[in-house]
Amino acid sequence: MAKASTLSRTYAAFRLQFLTPNLVIVPGIVFVFGWAVALGIFFWVDGVATDRDPVAEPMFAGGSQAPLWCLAFMAAYVGSHTFPFSQALSFSRKVFLAGTLAAFAAVSVGFGVAFVLAAWTEELTNGFGIHGYNFAIPYLTSQGLGVTGFVAAAACWFVMLLGFTIVMLYKRLGLTNTWLVIIAVIVVILAAVLLTVTNVGWSGLWGWFGGLTPMALLGWLMVPAVVLTLASYALIRRASPV
Amino acid sequence: MGTAIEVKNLSRRHRSVAALDDVTVSFEANTIHGLLGRNGAGKTSLMSIIAGQDWPSEGEVRVFGQRPHENEAVLPRMCFVREDQKYMDDAKPGHVFTAASLAYPNWDADLAQRLIEDFHLPMKTKINKLSRGQRSAVAVIIGLACRANITFFDEPYIGLDAAARQLFYDRLLEDYAENPRTIVVSSHLIDEIAPLIEHIVLLDRGRVLVDESADELRERAVTLIGRWDHVQDVIGGREILRREELGRLVRVTVLGGLGADEQARARELDLDIAPVSLQQLVVHLSARQGATLETAKEA
Repeated sequence: MAKASTLSRTYAAFRLQFLTPNLVIVPGIVFVFGWAVALGIFFWVDGVATDRDPVAEPMFAGGSQAPLWCLAFMAAYVGSHTFPFSQALSFSRKVFLAGTLAAFAAVSVGFGVAFVLAAWTEELTNGFGIHGYNFAIPYLTSQGLGVTGFVAAAACWFVMLLGFTIVMLYKRLGLTNTWLVIIAVIVVILAAVLLTVTNVGWSGLWGWFGGLTPMALLGWLMVPAVVLTLASYALIRRASPV
Repeated sequence: MGTAIEVKNLSRRHRSVAALDDVTVSFEANTIHGLLGRNGAGKTSLMSIIAGQDWPSEGEVRVFGQRPHENEAVLPRMCFVREDQKYMDDAKPGHVFTAASLAYPNWDADLAQRLIEDFHLPMKTKINKLSRGQRSAVAVIIGLACRANITFFDEPYIGLDAAARQLFYDRLLEDYAENPRTIVVSSHLIDEIAPLIEHIVLLDRGRVLVDESADELRERAVTLIGRWDHVQDVIGGREILRREELGRLVRVTVLGGLGADEQARARELDLDIAPVSLQQLVVHLSARQGATLETAKEA
């Protein structure tokens, strides 16, 4: 009988995420569609606002985040559907998780690259000639497109882990306890905000956020991402596949 | 041959409900085992724990001498596709078989292709659009073509029509003859799988009721048909499992086989001796155990 190495099984768990192209195609559609809608609005505004000076009054849209929420749902789907099937293929949970995290990382890198290409296109064309920007947001591009790509990839990684971890929480604890945990986390965050505002005021809090460079934001994003990675492993070890 | 699976004092509780209660049983390697029992007897719970998909509340499970949960040295050697297996919604059978071929080192693509043709499985239809029988066929194909050292078939007949079920039994036996391995078949259609199974584990309310070879189990009971006074003469004080009136005759199933003298006496008295079907025997044993437990509870 042939023996399977853990590496080849991890690769199999990675491939499992891409057997159907949903993890790439669905966010890809949202990426392109969201951009197209933003562009449509930019051109409509440009056509209507005849007295607008494009250079002095550039337009910015937040549609670039749309694929992120789609990816959060796709990652949740990995937890709800691919995980039970992975158990039928006798993957250990740690191998499944390693393959899944590798797949999330690959998708995040892809998202980061697509984000940079889109931002670069917008910069190159001066926002398609009308200074309408969906990706080349000044804050995100302030430290160069390389950092922009890293931030986009980190944000993608974070939201995918968030979606996946919430489903693992549900599979491990059931519906009621999942909501209790989510409420508890929200309460803790609100308490932390309250304490901060009590001590430094709203201006201090917003000032801190405003002072964050994209690179610092990237670093801070890594903190909850690492916490979610550890939490997802702790949860999946005893999560029921049914 | 050696032992493939050893289960010792295994209990699994879901809150206050015991799915398995102090189960001790072993499964010999390279044998086809029947895991039998009524709904809720604990069959799926036992298979889930052995396959590392669930974990015990107490006791331990060893597969090839090792604990299966999270153990990559053991898990790729086992296959447990549930009857109600969940797949990715948009997956087609081809996607699922590709995944299985990557996961199982002994995957036999030729066998899988042959089974796809045998079961007339539509490969271009999404799995969530397949009929129940076709979904069962997907599970059966994974179970057979993976050639895992230990394969669990959890109620494989659900959804398959009679012809497809027979096809599954035939292919299972053919492939088992060429590639012996440990197979555990859980089923309600006991007489249908009886020709396949060499060893029987009967669960009832989370406990092991029977753990013996199919042949030994068959010899544990006998059915006599004839006049009641003649039957009584032969069976003596044996426990009667079932008695049916057939006009002036009776058909009586008793626990305990007949010796050579008793068989000669039965022939002398013009009694028909019929073997007991495994299904009947299992039903009787389960019912008897149920009655015993109820009595103990009332006492």
